[in-house]
Amino acid sequence: MKTFIIIPCYNESAHLAEVINNVKEYGEVIVVDDGSTDNSRQLAQNLGVTVLEHLINRGQGAALETGDSYALNKGADIVVHFDADGQHQAGEIPKLIKPITEGRADIVMGSRFLNQTGQTPFFKKWLILKPAALFQNLMYGAKLTDAHNGFRALSHKALEKIRITQDRMAHPSEIIEQIVNNELRYLEVPVTIRYYEFGQGLTGGFKILRDIIFGKINK
Amino acid sequence: MNYLPLQIIVSLFVTFVVFRLTKKFKDNILKPSEFIGWLLIWIIVLVVFWLPQTTSYLALFFGIGRGVDLAVYVAVLIIFYLIFRLYLKIDKQQREITKIVRHLALDKKEKSIENKNGDD
Repeated sequence: MKTFIIIPCYNESAHLAEVINNVKEYGEVIVVDDGSTDNSRQLAQNLGVTVLEHLINRGQGAALETGDSYALNKGADIVVHFDADGQHQAGEIPKLIKPITEGRADIVMGSRFLNQTGQTPFFKKWLILKPAALFQNLMYGAKLTDAHNGFRALSHKALEKIRITQDRMAHPSEIIEQIVNNELRYLEVPVTIRYYEFGQGLTGGFKILRDIIFGKINK
Repeated sequence: MNYLPLQIIVSLFVTFVVFRLTKKFKDNILKPSEFIGWLLIWIIVLVVFWLPQTTSYLALFFGIGRGVDLAVYVAVLIIFYLIFRLYLKIDKQQREITKIVRHLALDKKEKSIENKNGDD
C-alpha cells in the first residue's frame, strides 16, 4: 500500500532530522515547510524527502491540507499525520495503519487516554483535553477519548472526503466533524505522547473555540 | 444654539464623507445598496445633530430615558456589527491567502519534478 507520512513543520530544526529518520521506513515522507525562518527546509531537503514549501506561515491545518492534497494527487492509499516536534512515536505508525489495511476503519486516531501509562500533565488533561473531547463529542456526536491529538492515519477514502479549511489549530475538531458528516468509520488506538513543553494552554483552547465558531459562520 | 460650533463641524465632516461616498459610487467601488445604506447613516447623523429632539421621541418610543442614550446605544450596536463584519471578511481573506500559498507550493513541486524528469 502506498503510504505517505505528512509532517507539517514550522521552525522545527531541533527535532526534524530525527523525526524524518525515524518515520521514513514506514512510508514516503512529505515535509510541508510552513514558512520556517530557521533551516528546517534545508534539513529536510538534505535528507532527500519530498518538501512542499509554504512561502509564508499559514498554520498547521493549512500545512496538513497541502500535504493531503499532494498525497491524494500522487495516489496515496494511506496518509499518516505526524508532528515534527518529536511528540509522536514513529514505532506506533504500524499500529495506526493496521485497522485501515485490515479494512476495519477509514480513519484511525491516536489517543493518549486509552492506555493508563500516559504522561499527560494533570492540568492539561483535565482542564483542556478532556473538556475539549467532551465538547467535540457533544457537538459532533462522536465517541472519542482524546481531542486534538495530531497523530492519525487516513485511508484513501477518508483523504478524498476530508478537506481541512481550518488553517490554525482548530483543524482536529473540523476533521472529527467531517468524519461524522461523511459517515467514515473511525477508531482510536492508544499512543504515547512525549511532552517537551506545555503546548497549547487555556488561551490556545479559546482560540480554537473562536476559530470553530467563526469557521461555521463564514462558510 | 449652544451646539452651533459642533453642528457646523459635524456638517462639514458629513459633507466631506458624502462627497467621498458619491465619488466611490460613481467609480463603481460601492454597490447601490451600500451607497444608500451609508448615505442614510450619515443623513441620520446630520438629523441627530441639527434636531436633537428627534432622538428623544425615538428614545421614548423604545423606553429609553434620553435621546442621547439611544444614539449611543445605536452607535455601539452599529460599531459592534461592523467589527463583526470586518472579522468575517479578514477570516475569509486569510483562507484565500492559504489557497494561494498552497497552490504555489504544489505548483513549485510539480515544476521541479517536471524539470528533473526533463533533465534525465
